[in-house]
Amino acid sequence: MKRLCVVLALLSSGAVASDKRSGVEYVSPETRALQADDFANPGMLWVGGGEALWNEAVGQTKKSCASCHQDAKQTMKGVAARYPVFDEVRKRPIDLQGRINQCRVRRQKAAAFAFESEALLSLSAYIAHQSRGMPVTPPRDERLWSYIENGKELYFRRIGQIDINCASCHDARAGQRLSGNLIPEAHPTGYPIYRLEWQSAGSLQRRMRGCMTGVRAEPYAYGSPEMINLELYLMNRAAGLPIETPAVRP
Amino acid sequence: MRLCLPLIALLIGGEATAQSLRPYQIEADAITQSLTGKTGVAARGQAIIADRQRGLCLLCHTGAFPEPHMQGNVAPDLREVVGTLSAGQLRLRLVDIRRVNPDSPMPSFYRNDGLTRVGAPWRGKPILAADEIEDVLAYLLTLQERK
Amino acid sequence: MAAPRIMVNVPKTAARGEIVEIKTLIAHKMETGHRMGLNGQRIPRDIINRFECTYNGALVFAADLFPAVSANPFIAFTTVAVASGTLKFRWVDDHGKVSTTSAKITVT
Repeated sequence: MKRLCVVLALLSSGAVASDKRSGVEYVSPETRALQADDFANPGMLWVGGGEALWNEAVGQTKKSCASCHQDAKQTMKGVAARYPVFDEVRKRPIDLQGRINQCRVRRQKAAAFAFESEALLSLSAYIAHQSRGMPVTPPRDERLWSYIENGKELYFRRIGQIDINCASCHDARAGQRLSGNLIPEAHPTGYPIYRLEWQSAGSLQRRMRGCMTGVRAEPYAYGSPEMINLELYLMNRAAGLPIETPAVRP
Repeated sequence: MRLCLPLIALLIGGEATAQSLRPYQIEADAITQSLTGKTGVAARGQAIIADRQRGLCLLCHTGAFPEPHMQGNVAPDLREVVGTLSAGQLRLRLVDIRRVNPDSPMPSFYRNDGLTRVGAPWRGKPILAADEIEDVLAYLLTLQERK
Repeated sequence: MAAPRIMVNVPKTAARGEIVEIKTLIAHKMETGHRMGLNGQRIPRDIINRFECTYNGALVFAADLFPAVSANPFIAFTTVAVASGTLKFRWVDDHGKVSTTSAKITVT
């Protein structure tokens, strides 16, 4: 039945979400079951931790996220489905992690969280989880165009000693095996993800850095414009697929 | 197969950057001369391929090596790719496959220029040294004999 | 984060004699003791080595854990719903750190 659905989806015309496949379709049935069960999905530990942080008063202002944003289950719904967005303050795109830290520094008067810290991953996971099931819907904002275009250039730029680009694997060879692992289409719909290889949750930037090191390239720095632009391009590329946070991947 | 090479292209490997590569000459789609002047050792080549971090071959290719479930299927089996190619043709494909097929995802194993953002541990170095290329080539040629 | 991150799932209600499934998940790095750090020094072992569940004071499930268990151990098991009351969960790690939580069940 499932196979029939996939066939029908493939037949039903071109450039819609149906011809994209989430990474969850490339994982084993066991890993898929782990993601599907909220009481077994280890990523939910970060979601739970994020909920606690959401309500914790911090910084000079002694304000929590909830002090301004109230109930995340209402106010954060759909947010992760549209990020990265254009930031009026910096006059350039900002991703969800960047926005959390911006809020901490500017509004709560607290120190920014470090990249890949348990706290930043937890709050990101909690916020993104509120969009679970909602389709990725990048904003139609022409101020983002040049940045998306740059992200696309980076996606197609050959890098590293191995000298290949993201598309070499994720566009041209998705579904084939690289060293025994199925190559997915690189749709970032479940971040932060729980990755079995990491034995931990991690961000999209960490995942991309892993690929860059894999092709023996110098990875772009956490939070760098290149990383944000790549995120922006990938989310536009994934438009229409549902958010899965917290996804589980091998 | 795409063959858009000049009949005799003279290429001096190893620009001013870092570790210099040994010069080699491309004739048609082949490098007929050994990079080291010597014939490689097949057993060493086999060991290089078996070590995924060194040879990298098994990330994409399958072959007669342990742990077949850890081998890729992005590219054909090594026993197939050797086909009826000559030693010189195989050598060029190892050294710089992009001269044969610019769109190939296979890296150029003996090149250290024209690359972007190479990570510090690998900068200026080819993936395999000249003698390693010859060893891998010697192993690949044994696959033809077995046919 | 101060509080240990723990998730348990116990059915709120069950019929007397019913077999119920209980799922537990706790955040723990489960460092095996076999890995080397960046400096070539062995990273000391730090795992949860014991898990216990009591049901109205009676031990209904226990497990000894070893280094092969992955990080953030997930343990699921079944028990028979005998009476309304409390299930208490207890994890002990190599440093002797004890993490606990509890859940209520109503048996009809």
